[in-house]
Formats: sequence, structure tokens, C-alpha cells
Amino acid sequence: MVKFTPSFNRLVGELAKLPGIGRKTAARLALFILRQTPEESLALADAIKELKERTRFCSRCFHFTEDDPCPLCTDVGRDDQLICVVEEPQDVIAIERSRSYRGRYHVLHGALSPLDGIGPDDLKIDALLKRLQQNDVKEVLLATNFDVEGEATALYLAKLIRPMGVRVTRLAHGIPTGSDLEYVDEATVNHAVEGRREL
Amino acid sequence: MTLTRLILHNYRNIPTAEIHPEAGFNILYGDNAQGKTNTLEAIYLLGHYKSFRRGRNEELIGPADRHCRVAGEFYNEKLTENVCLTISSDQKNLQINGKRPQHSNEMFGRFPSVLFAPEEVSITKGSPAGRRSLIDRALCHTKPSFLDQARAYQRCLRQRNALLKEGASPVLLFPWTEELIRAGALVRLARRQYLERMLPLLREAYGEICAGREIANLVYPTSYDTFTDLAEELRRNLEKENAREKKYGMTMAGPHRDDPVFMVNNRVLGLYGSQGQQRSFILAFKTAQIRDLEQETGSVPLLLLDDMTSELDRKRLDFFFRFLLERRGQVFITCTELSPLQNAGFNNMRAFRVQEGILCDY
Ligand SMILES: [Zn+2]
Repeated sequence: MVKFTPSFNRLVGELAKLPGIGRKTAARLALFILRQTPEESLALADAIKELKERTRFCSRCFHFTEDDPCPLCTDVGRDDQLICVVEEPQDVIAIERSRSYRGRYHVLHGALSPLDGIGPDDLKIDALLKRLQQNDVKEVLLATNFDVEGEATALYLAKLIRPMGVRVTRLAHGIPTGSDLEYVDEATVNHAVEGRREL
Repeated sequence: MTLTRLILHNYRNIPTAEIHPEAGFNILYGDNAQGKTNTLEAIYLLGHYKSFRRGRNEELIGPADRHCRVAGEFYNEKLTENVCLTISSDQKNLQINGKRPQHSNEMFGRFPSVLFAPEEVSITKGSPAGRRSLIDRALCHTKPSFLDQARAYQRCLRQRNALLKEGASPVLLFPWTEELIRAGALVRLARRQYLERMLPLLREAYGEICAGREIANLVYPTSYDTFTDLAEELRRNLEKENAREKKYGMTMAGPHRDDPVFMVNNRVLGLYGSQGQQRSFILAFKTAQIRDLEQETGSVPLLLLDDMTSELDRKRLDFFFRFLLERRGQVFITCTELSPLQNAGFNNMRAFRVQEGILCDY
């Protein structure tokens, strides 16, 4: 590893904390930044600073936003009676990209995982239940992941929400329409064939 | 499916080697601890990406470098494909035809091989885990998605056990119990379906080995064969174990505790079986596994036979050699003596001498 000056080492240390960046790559990035003009590298620093100052969680849905409530919560064209529950902010982005959903969102910021010490209190579940109590919501669409943690979180939420008289649905995990069965991976076909159930 | 070229680099005690095996029978012979089983293990790695021996990656790596490499060239129906596995202490890098496979479905079942090692004879008498693993390893060749199902079940099991250990409330336990029932029923269903299909083949093979005087049976301890029934059964299993689960802080029923019973003439092999019956049973199981795999996938797996002659007597060897001669397909056999194999009447046979990590044509 290249060792230059204390300030260089400090930047390398910070960059190496980023996901997917090892110390070697961090040193390369730091060298690149060092060679940039002061304007260029300060623009990067400023972009990071602005992102951190302006971005926070929406107080309703807990998605990242600059304005509270977020544009997704204030958009009048969206259906207030339908809430889609996801694990992470990037899941909102994925569903939005599909342009197939016109309801509201709720971001849990994780999934249940006893092995990692993550229980219901570590997720935005209380806030979700409050939203359901205070607003006229007819349906909750559970769009947590399809791994065991996501499935368990969906089951946990369904049991809490159903007694409130709200319809609970689960994002379908099946064979993409228009696709040849031959080309769908076997795990997906298996899921569709073997023992899927109504929540 | 034929392995046409095998290249090893810094693999266990083999510094470097390249061999061009025969499409039929390949004999790896030499004294013990010279590298015969290591060579067999390397071929096994090309189809399973994991050794049949327990141990860490480091143990596969020789002293000359910080990684080792196993590469193979396979020929199947006029198509040549390359597999290259590079192993370092903390990772395995797999390339198939120069590309990294994107999904486990692209890897498993593609270069199938079936191993028969002498230690496996003791499975009939050993712990239930050994018998479950024998079945699971056989079934994932014809159903690669089973690996994901088994992994999901194990993950859910560990999550649920973590909650049981801390004495969590029923409200918290509920979703993990439900998910465990679903994942567990899928694992039991896969095992049931596989055994149902291969049991007639196992009985047939056992009959051939002992001239029809005895009847083999393999009973998986569940009463149902549909997903819904198996799920309800597992739910009842868990309810029955409720008190013990609380006491011991772990899941006491499910596919991770099932004990598949191996039987001959309605007697449990593990309790009453003779050494000869145990050998015949494992031999019949392997034969059935190979026949089923060929029927189901249409591809002919490589057979890897580790030191057969040490565990099997004359009668059983004769049966197995006849079986080998009747099927097409490539076979790798390790042995300390060449003569029993030379006398078995194998055509297109090639022998490689293995001595102190060096492989050479006989
Ligand atoms: Zn919002």
C-alpha cells in the first residue's frame, strides 16, 4: 500500500469503509482525487455534504427524502387506501421503475432476523400499525424479499394486520408472464408448483 | 459425458499434472498416500465444487503457492467444455468456458459424477445424519433446486433455534414456525419423491447382488407424499415436541432429525445387518442412484470408485464389475493392485501410476 501523508491516509481509510472498496482501490481513488483540480474534488466533497444535510427519512413512509413528507406520500394521484411494505429504500426504487404500482409505500428498514438480533422493535413496524389505525387503508401489499427472513417478516405482519380489518396480500412470486417455462430458472418454477399459499 | 483432460496445479501433494483419460476405464494405481484419492477428489470437485472430504480450503492447497487449480475438459455429444476451479484459503473461483456462472443452476448437474468410497459402507450403521446426507447428495443431481431448498430450511432452522434459545414469546416464534413448516415440508417432499422413484431400482440391484434371496427396503419416516399433507404432519410433529423444545431451546422435529431406515428382509440393517448385507445395500444404493440419474437426465455420470477392492469381496466385486461392463460411461478407479482389474475383462482401459504426487501413464 502507498503511504504518503497523514491526510492522504485518512482519505484512504474513509474510502475503504465503502462497500466493495478494498484498500488497494481506495488508494487508487485517493490518488485520482489528489490529481483532480481543487474545484473538481471540492464538488465531490460538497455533493456528499449536501446529500447528508438534505436527506432524511420521510416521517410517514421512511423512504429517503429531501422534503418531509416525501413526494411519494404527497402525490395526489396515488391511492391512499393501498400501502406497499418493503424492506429497503432501494425496493421502492425497483417497484417505482416498473410503473405498475400507484399506491403508497412503507419502508421497514430491514427484516426480522433473530440470529442478527433484529426483532420487531428494530423495524418500522409500530409506525406502520399507527398509519393503518389513523388512515383509511383497505389493503396492505407485503413486498418483503422471498428469502426466509422476508417470508417470516411477511407472516409476522400479516398476523398483526389482518385483525385490523385490512386486506393483506403478498407480492406474487411466480413465473414472469410471457416467459417460456423452459427459460425460467428451476427454483422459480418450483416455488410456483410446490406449495405456495394464500397469506 | 467424458473427462478428456485433467490439469492439476499445486493440488494437495500433486505439484503439477496433466492426464488425458480414456473414455472407458481409468485405473489410478500405486501405494497408499501417494495421491490416488487426491486425484479422484479433484475430478469430484469439477462436478460438485466441494470435496467429499471434510476440511478447510487450505488443506487442498499445496506448499508451492497460495492457491491451487483444478481444470478439466469435458466432451459430451460433440461439445467440448472447460471447467476451471481456482481455490485460495478464503475463496473459490469457478469458470465454465471462461465465464463465471451466474446461478447455481448453471453449475450443478452439469458435469455429474458419482463417488463410491469404502467409508460409505459404515453409513448403514452410523448416525442418521450420514443416511440423510447419502440421500441428499444423490437427489440433488437430478434436482439441483434441492440445494436452495435445503439451504433455506437450514437458515430458517438456525433463526428459529436462536429464538427458542432465548425463550422468545409465541408471537415472535410464530412466523419462523410457519416458515420452517413450509421449508421443511419441501425438503421432506423432495426426499420422499426421490426415494419413491429409486426404491424399485435399489431392490432390483440388491436382488441381483444376492441372487434374489433377500429383499431390501428403505423407509423414510413420514406418512404422506403431498406437500399439504407433509406440512400438516410437520406441524403436528412440532406441536408434540413443544415442551421439549422449550426445555432444550432448539427445534426437536423436522427433516434435520429424520432417520431414514435401511432394511433387509424387514430387519433394520443398522441393528441386525451383517457386514455383507451392509456392503450389498450400499452397493445397491449406488447402482440405483446411477441408473436413476441416467434415466432422469439422459446424461451418463462419471463414476469415481475409491479403493473398491478393499471393501468388497469376490461375489460383490463380480456383480459390480458386471454392472460396470454393461453400462457405457467413464469410470475412474483407484487401487493398490492392478491385477484384479486387468482380469475383469475391461476393454479400452488405461492405467495411471501415482507415486509421490506424480501421475504418469503406465
Ligand atoms: Zn414518504
